[in-house]
Amino acid sequence: MSGSTIFAQNRRMNGLTGCTGIMRWALLAAALAMVSGCGPRQVIVEGNFPTPLMSPLPLTMGVWYDEEFSTHEFFDEAKGRADSSWIVKTGQAQTQMWDIVLAGMFRELVHMKGAPSEGQLNQVVDAVLIPHVDELQYAIPAHTNVKVYEIWMRYRIDMVTTSGEPIGSWTMTSYGKTPTAFLQSDEAAVNLAAVVALRDAGANFISNFSRVPEVREWQERRSRPPSSTPITADPDQPAPVASEQSAVE
Amino acid sequence: MNTRFGIRLLLTTLCLLTGCVTATVDEMVFNEPTEGIGDSTVVILGRRHASDYETEPDFIRCVGKHISSRDRSIEVMGELEFINELYPWFEPRTAPLRPQDIDKLMVHPPVAAKMAELKTEYMIWIDGSTVQTNSAGSMTCGIGPGGAGCFGFGTWGNAANYEATIWDFTDRAEVGRVNTTASGQSYMPAVVIPIPIIAPVQGTACDGIGDQLLEFLSSEY
Repeated sequence: MSGSTIFAQNRRMNGLTGCTGIMRWALLAAALAMVSGCGPRQVIVEGNFPTPLMSPLPLTMGVWYDEEFSTHEFFDEAKGRADSSWIVKTGQAQTQMWDIVLAGMFRELVHMKGAPSEGQLNQVVDAVLIPHVDELQYAIPAHTNVKVYEIWMRYRIDMVTTSGEPIGSWTMTSYGKTPTAFLQSDEAAVNLAAVVALRDAGANFISNFSRVPEVREWQERRSRPPSSTPITADPDQPAPVASEQSAVE
Repeated sequence: MNTRFGIRLLLTTLCLLTGCVTATVDEMVFNEPTEGIGDSTVVILGRRHASDYETEPDFIRCVGKHISSRDRSIEVMGELEFINELYPWFEPRTAPLRPQDIDKLMVHPPVAAKMAELKTEYMIWIDGSTVQTNSAGSMTCGIGPGGAGCFGFGTWGNAANYEATIWDFTDRAEVGRVNTTASGQSYMPAVVIPIPIIAPVQGTACDGIGDQLLEFLSSEY
């Protein structure tokens, strides 16, 4: 009898322990859910980017992505208790998009071994492009009361020689937005807006590259025949050799 | 017998549970193709230039599906597929705003070749959006050991306004314009279970604009 009582007590105790275990797990899950709700909302931008449909420019172009660019991320801290912080990581998508755009835009695209500078041994190319993200801003419907998610970016593009001498530097902006959609999370919508902004960056770069004054001048210099200085032994003599050369050219 | 009755009851209930929608369609068409569009393709694109709204990609898909499901001879090319094939020439920044701008695109030999390959005869631009116009009411939901439930009443209105502009790609000319507006009021009463009575405003606008475009493009309508 006592044995059965002990057994019954044990079973009750086991039941209590099981109940407490479930309670503990439930509390832990609730705590985790609350903690995760307080953490920043993170978007790692992912997307597919199309190859540009154009005749490639007859240039062997180098590209160098510095670490800040290839791991670019944007952090926006929450302004109040009702807001949440945001981390938008665009680095991987940036390099993916620029690789596709530049490879389609130029006859050959070469990834530089190191940052172009005088001492750096690099591949031989016509010029090197170095893109930078200077600024990124985003807006979600909670901020603006407009039913669109927006991403705005400002780029700085440096164009240098392989030894790092500047050819040109210009800024360009890109903008992407996406409407609110049923069953679409804020994260998915921000990702989509970022992909649209990246596509816009590619479109802006392609359509305006040759219009950048420094680039235009550089292209003109390249297409111009090399200037020939008349070298004559006798300064009184005309320079027939130079004239001939000019005629041939 | 019981199953049939159940289905009928369900369908009747569903019909009753749909909110009312008022729609108006205006049409202005020139040079309508008398024999249909043959083996050419049509592409429907959304205008995305405005800062405060964006033509919903879902709406563009809906209009495309409406046309191709009613006349299977019409090949409607997907919006994303088209703009990807012609990247970057149909992005919001670079897309042609007038039919004459197509000539500037055709200067690029790869673009001209791609357009010929796609056999695009008509390009339809749709501009507009569906917005919520008003909302009222309140609802309270609760959860307890005995169960969960809601109590209250909510109502909101939606309005859709879309305009489709048809470009003849061969003639580089605008050949038609269709405008549709639709509005409706949705309701959600809740006594334990919320019952949404949704007015299909966007769907009605899609059907309205789709039917008009079908009349233009199809030889059967």
